Amino acid sequence: MTQKTKIKAHGRSNWLGLLPFLLFCLAFEIVPIIFLLRGSFIEKTTGALTLEHYQALNHPLYINSFMNSIKLSGLTALIGVVLGTFIGYAIYRWPSRGMRETLITLSDVTTNFAGAPLAFAFVVILGLNGVITQFLMQYMHYELYPGFSIYSFSGLILAYVYFQLPLMVLLVLPAFAGIKKDWQESAQSLGADTFQFWWRIGVPVLMPSLIAGLTLLFANAFGAYATAYTLVQAKLSLVTLQIGYMIAGEVRQDQAIGMAMAILSLVIMGLSIAIYQLSTLRARRWSKS
Amino acid sequence: MDPLSTPKNETKKKLRPASWQVALVAIFLFYMLLPIISTYVFSVATRWDRTILPEGYTLEFYAKAIQASYFTITLRNSFILSISTVLVSLLIIVPTVYWVHTRLGRAKPLLDILMILPFGIPTVVLALALIQVYHFPPLARSPVLLIGAVVVYSMPFMYRPVSNALQALDVQTLTEAGQSLGANIFQVLYRIVIPNIVTGLLSGSLLVFSTVFAEYTLTSLIVGARFKTFPLLLVEFTRINGNIAAAFSVISFTIAWLVSMLILWVGSKGQKATTEGIRAH
Repeated sequence: MTQKTKIKAHGRSNWLGLLPFLLFCLAFEIVPIIFLLRGSFIEKTTGALTLEHYQALNHPLYINSFMNSIKLSGLTALIGVVLGTFIGYAIYRWPSRGMRETLITLSDVTTNFAGAPLAFAFVVILGLNGVITQFLMQYMHYELYPGFSIYSFSGLILAYVYFQLPLMVLLVLPAFAGIKKDWQESAQSLGADTFQFWWRIGVPVLMPSLIAGLTLLFANAFGAYATAYTLVQAKLSLVTLQIGYMIAGEVRQDQAIGMAMAILSLVIMGLSIAIYQLSTLRARRWSKS
Repeated sequence: MDPLSTPKNETKKKLRPASWQVALVAIFLFYMLLPIISTYVFSVATRWDRTILPEGYTLEFYAKAIQASYFTITLRNSFILSISTVLVSLLIIVPTVYWVHTRLGRAKPLLDILMILPFGIPTVVLALALIQVYHFPPLARSPVLLIGAVVVYSMPFMYRPVSNALQALDVQTLTEAGQSLGANIFQVLYRIVIPNIVTGLLSGSLLVFSTVFAEYTLTSLIVGARFKTFPLLLVEFTRINGNIAAAFSVISFTIAWLVSMLILWVGSKGQKATTEGIRAH
């Protein structure tokens, strides 16, 4: 009782302790985003509310950028989730503990290897004279180019999967721990075969984690910039690349259109993160008991 | 020592991964390691565009990389940026998280949202937003604005380890004990709390360091050539000279590996310390 009244009495001054951090967030996080939102709805010369910046996005270049970004993020998220789940399960059931830990560490490190060095590493193996390109040419008599190019959409998929895959492995490993050993035994004793067990119990239990993985990987790819900037540049338009060009002044376009693009991508990111949060909450149900 | 007396252990030891496991892990290792290993080899290869293995080996490109104009400046700038970000981040985040853990539990959901929010903001969007607001000197396109931006961007990396470390510690009791012995809040923080969460602080700092050291987007869009960092130099060289770019990539991969190993080492020390701490209780 006394502690409760004490806390109440100190309640207001306690919030003061949070003030420096709140001010920092306000200055570098909240206010800039509000300015962005405002800028995307305001006509620059008259200051009147307008939807014209969003209407201006109805242009092949911008529609293409959004389509490409969504396709790239969706595809690499899907590939990451499917491959990552199987590889994650292989790691989870690996008999030697040392090997398991090594593989988890590898995933931990490589998932942060996005950006320019990674993009360049892919040029080294899959560029015009890359290691794999050479190998295929000399030993398999298969010409990778010009059908494939690391500087194209298909090349970007390979580079993005590189950081998506280990992220999914890290996300899915705890979910496998949620499938209790005795469930499998009980299912077997009731006459279920392996396929039935996974179809009826395993996959439904994993489902929230898989959806969480899909949305997080989607957001992860959608916001990426440096890898794409190093690899494809002007050959392929993506939302982040377009916004980047507008900031750098490399294209002569109204910055307000960039703001409208930025707000739309925040909406897309926000939706995926929200679904991610909801699914992790559901996924936690299994690990609690 | 008779193997027959422990049949259960025997069979467990002999357990081998199934062939499907070996195949999947092999694919995984191939995908994850081939680009990295190839870049290391490429950086010391004299010529590697006509043959499967390099025609010869040389350290020439490292010599050239080090001699490249801007090499020292960009490396220095990257260190300045990463270290100041770590310091600002520690200064802003640690007292706040401590405060919320001890005095303001109600604010935890708010803190969680504010700390995780940067994950939902693409870096280009953050850059655009900050440039729009701070378009006046001296902040406009300055390294100070950049530090603010990378602190926001790397906030989740500092928050998680620090928050977990504080959670593992009974910080409320420790604080009350310290205060009942006459220590003020700063003495409690510096003498009791910080020494106990030092592994969390170190992991957070190292994570922030390696993230900021590799940061490209915010740096190139907010300050660009005025404050060139190492990743900017790397991207520039991917268009000028592949071999030197490979040497730069190797340097950047190596730093990332080293920092990751350090994080692991710190983490294992921390785990030992906390389990010992629990046993001691």
